[in-house]
Amino acid sequence: MKRVFVTVTAILLGIGGVSAQQDILSQRQTAMKENGRNLGGVLGAMAKGEKPYDQAAIDAALAKLADNAKAMSGHFPDSTKGLKAEGKYSASPKIWDSRADFESHIASYSKAISEVKASVKDIDTLKAAVPVLGKQCSGCHETYRLQNS
Amino acid sequence: MARRLSLFAVALAIVAFAVYWWLTMPSTVAAGTLPAHTPDLANGKTVFNAAGCASCHAVPNQQDRTRLGGGLPLTSPFGTFYAPNISPDPNDGIGQWTEAQFVKAVVHGVSPDGAHYFPAFPYTSYHGAKIADVRDLFAYIKTLPPVSGKAPDHAVGFPFNIRRNIGIWKLLFMDRQPPVMDAARSPQWNRGAYLVNVLGHCAECHSPRNMLGGIITAQRFAGGPNPEGKGWVPNITQKNLADWSDKDLAYFLESGLLPDGDSAGGSMASVIKNTSQLSADDRAAMAVYLKSLPAVEGPKRPQSK
Repeated sequence: MKRVFVTVTAILLGIGGVSAQQDILSQRQTAMKENGRNLGGVLGAMAKGEKPYDQAAIDAALAKLADNAKAMSGHFPDSTKGLKAEGKYSASPKIWDSRADFESHIASYSKAISEVKASVKDIDTLKAAVPVLGKQCSGCHETYRLQNS
Repeated sequence: MARRLSLFAVALAIVAFAVYWWLTMPSTVAAGTLPAHTPDLANGKTVFNAAGCASCHAVPNQQDRTRLGGGLPLTSPFGTFYAPNISPDPNDGIGQWTEAQFVKAVVHGVSPDGAHYFPAFPYTSYHGAKIADVRDLFAYIKTLPPVSGKAPDHAVGFPFNIRRNIGIWKLLFMDRQPPVMDAARSPQWNRGAYLVNVLGHCAECHSPRNMLGGIITAQRFAGGPNPEGKGWVPNITQKNLADWSDKDLAYFLESGLLPDGDSAGGSMASVIKNTSQLSADDRAAMAVYLKSLPAVEGPKRPQSK
């Protein structure tokens, strides 16, 4: 009886642990997709001329990007190393193997967002700013994002 | 009788070897055949960025794209290749090369001492380069800082490590590019075709390959398994990119941002570092050419669980 209890508890805890980690992965993906919508759907679309220039929408998008950047490191706790996420991409184990470099990418991304916040005043400054942010995304995704195959 | 037969076998072997030797003979460029040329360094820099030299030859894990000390590993089904030092260092780089040797290397894939290069170096694409562009590139690279140190030797197994065999491979798979000049098309399309097919060597990754590592011509640009290992290289014909406008393509090459806000990752992130340095006109030309590629079905991607 004791053994059954211990086994059942262990299984339940195990499942609880797994689903907590899956929650972290899905929160991470939600944050990344939100970044994509703000960058591509708002800032990029305006820079390309698909949407009219709208300073209030730009400020809101940049504020959201800044919030998400602050939370970025927390989306990659040690417990999620090597876990494969649903969808197109997973995090590379290299994040945890070279954590300091990964964190320096986040710092450089956050700095770029605040610089862009200060610089964007019209369509020309926006056109110059979006590729700067895009480079920050790719700079990390080059090394630390894996395609699911 | 036996003696005569064995003599015959020896003769046959000699002839067969001679034919092999002739078929696999590296082609050369004589210095005297290059006409007078005043190098245009600005164009050399454009060629450097369009051809993506820094993506493989810049020293890894540092930011300076002009330090061409090599060393980046390129994994493939045939083994691991290490990008060599092409900085102007006289001992470890190409500081002592003549212009004709450089042209021969880039356009024919043959080293100064007459050996075939492995096609990990995309000379199959560069084969169509304008000689003036290659000479400008040489002049530009000569202005960059010399970097000492050699890259590790390639780790490639038998029989692929026999460089002479690459002569046969070249006969089978070189010269298979679509024509990049089409007088019926606009100058912009022609420029785009040149940048995408020749200098940009996009097809080298964005096409499926056969068992010998040759590009499957009928599925050029239709994507396939990543030759470097994990993942899938996307189809860039209109089969997959019909939703992308010219502007979306040009913007992606500038910023690395896809229309949905996703960003380039992996090796493509490195490509964007090159294309973002090009002029807006050149990126627009590449976009116009890519939009003109007819829809081609690529290999089927295995369903991931």
